[in-house]
Amino acid sequence: MSAHAAVPQKTRTAPARAPAGFPFSFYRYRNYVAFAATSVFMAIGCVGLLEGLHALGKGPEAWNAWLAEMARPGALALSLVVLAFTLYFVFRFGWVGRKIGAGRVGPVPRPPLPLPVLGVAPVGGFVTLWLILLAILGGVLL
Amino acid sequence: MQLRKVKFEVLRFRPEQDEKPVFESYDVECMEDWVVLDALNAIKDDIDPTLSHRWSCRMGVCGSCGMLVNGRPVLTCAAFVRNYSGTIRVEPLSNFPIVRDLVVELDGFVEKIKSVKPWIIRKLEKDVAEGEYRQSPEQLEEFKQFSMCINCALCYAACPVLANEPEFVGPAAIALGHRYNLDSRDEGNAERFAVLDSHDGVYACSYANECSQVCPKHVDPAMAIQQAKLTDFLQWSHLLPKRSFT
Repeated sequence: MSAHAAVPQKTRTAPARAPAGFPFSFYRYRNYVAFAATSVFMAIGCVGLLEGLHALGKGPEAWNAWLAEMARPGALALSLVVLAFTLYFVFRFGWVGRKIGAGRVGPVPRPPLPLPVLGVAPVGGFVTLWLILLAILGGVLL
Repeated sequence: MQLRKVKFEVLRFRPEQDEKPVFESYDVECMEDWVVLDALNAIKDDIDPTLSHRWSCRMGVCGSCGMLVNGRPVLTCAAFVRNYSGTIRVEPLSNFPIVRDLVVELDGFVEKIKSVKPWIIRKLEKDVAEGEYRQSPEQLEEFKQFSMCINCALCYAACPVLANEPEFVGPAAIALGHRYNLDSRDEGNAERFAVLDSHDGVYACSYANECSQVCPKHVDPAMAIQQAKLTDFLQWSHLLPKRSFT
């Protein structure tokens, strides 16, 4: 018998099975899927906002046309869905924040600001920018 | 002691005869203080000796007997039969290929654990004569909970990310890597982050938190992953220096 023939064959395995309740029957997995889905709706919202900014740059006529477009029931409904998913994203991100209170990384000294503050700051900045954009588009600042 | 007849549905897979896994039922006379592992051993001893399952310590320490019981990843040595009503369904851990019956293939899991270099890395080892590496209770407390992991792989079975992305490094390995990154005696942070911030590393996690829920030793791998993300971000943005000698 050759040395090659002596090598035992790998046992046939059955494929890995997904966790019970995945993806929709168990609430934590549903949350996971919903969190992933926020990216789609936030992308739609961002495209809409970019269109608005583009219209703003083109002049009052384009801006008013875009506002009229956004005031249609379908666009309003879509905006509400986008808002809901964006808020869910922010909530989820903030919820993760409670887990990140690491004091330090080994002997490296603590950073100048508390880590949760450093972690939440970029998200806070994003949310602030988003609210300012909403205020502009809503005519509050114009 | 009072006996209770309990029906068990056990997923069987015999590669030499089964095309795919199938459930088989067993009626087992269970004693009041039995855990699910006792019932599986009773099936193997008295009903069907061909049943294959892993176990060792019987006291929640070795991490060998992890399985799905009624869909939840648990250590069967710590899952009391009396806490379940009706039929008890026992399956091998999800997210792992099945070798036979309730035995899963853990090769990939072990490789992932190894990939994060779960040992203390130092630029230069002290001479033994210089004494031990001292550590304060506060320094120990920073990583202690992550060192409680027994590698039972329940967190991998519960992880929805692994169901979608089998290459994800996974909760236990990241928690273990994080444990050494937090250790005041360690200097291998940068080497571990080569794995932790890779495509299949910490950023694949979107925090379902199920890993922390199922951990039998109360480790919080979800916390380790989120902390590792932040540490990586701070190092990337130069707010936190990397510890490396490479």
